[in-house]
Amino acid sequence: MRALACLPDVARFARSLTRNAMAADDLVQETYLRAYRSHNTFREGLDMRRWLFSICHHAWLRIAERERRVVLTDEGDDAELETMAAVMGHVAAQRSGLDRFITSIDLAPAIETAINALSPALQGVVVLVDVQGLGYEEAAEVLEIPVGTVRSRLFRARRLLQEQLFEYARDAGVSISPSITNRHPRTTSA
Amino acid sequence: MRSPFDPSLVQPIDCKATVRRLWDYLDAELDPVRAEEVARHLRGCAGCREHFAFANQFLAALHESWPVVAGSAAGDANVDDAESLRARIVARLEAEGVRVA
Repeated sequence: MRALACLPDVARFARSLTRNAMAADDLVQETYLRAYRSHNTFREGLDMRRWLFSICHHAWLRIAERERRVVLTDEGDDAELETMAAVMGHVAAQRSGLDRFITSIDLAPAIETAINALSPALQGVVVLVDVQGLGYEEAAEVLEIPVGTVRSRLFRARRLLQEQLFEYARDAGVSISPSITNRHPRTTSA
Repeated sequence: MRSPFDPSLVQPIDCKATVRRLWDYLDAELDPVRAEEVARHLRGCAGCREHFAFANQFLAALHESWPVVAGSAAGDANVDDAESLRARIVARLEAEGVRVA
């Protein structure tokens, strides 16, 4: 019953992936069914939570593929190029003054729209690293993909999300209220 | 595996090399030498500092907004929901023939 002890973490992970309470419940149930059916693949010494995350993510991708008929392989972009593109996006936003708006408006609606525009493969890596706080290697283990693919997917997703936020700021046009704080949990200084 | 930090290995790097390491640095994924190279460059370069500060704010906004977007602003589902979910999982597992102690 060690697996059930991870239920709160798995439930949060499923909720982050599906962004829907009922779908998350279904996904968690599916995850545990799959886990118990394939319990012989769990090796002692493995991290139970990460093993369940991996099963949960695979189940979610299969559901997303079935429902949205998405193409799951959308890598191919170099991680460093994606990073440079994100910086160039910021440079353009600085020139137009958009970067100041980004730091002063409520971004939740824009982020929701931007997330929905990402493919499940990109959403998965953002949830693991940016929401759950996993490192690149841990995310690679969960997703069963190389670390390099985690980086390229993550950096691409962030660049796409950033572009969407600039679009949103361009449309919003005015500052409303402070909503961003400098509290990214995995960094100390910049 | 991170290598042990040896300050003598730290080299000056330019703006291009610095911003290439943007996400790896903010995610604390660089080895200590490469991280220190970025930190030293940032101390002397206001332009790069702005990029890193903005990216840091972006990540913070993403981290904070996702639970709101996911509909779980309180972070955890309440205890009743968690118990109910656990009971449903146990019921489904037992229906599949899995004995749950």
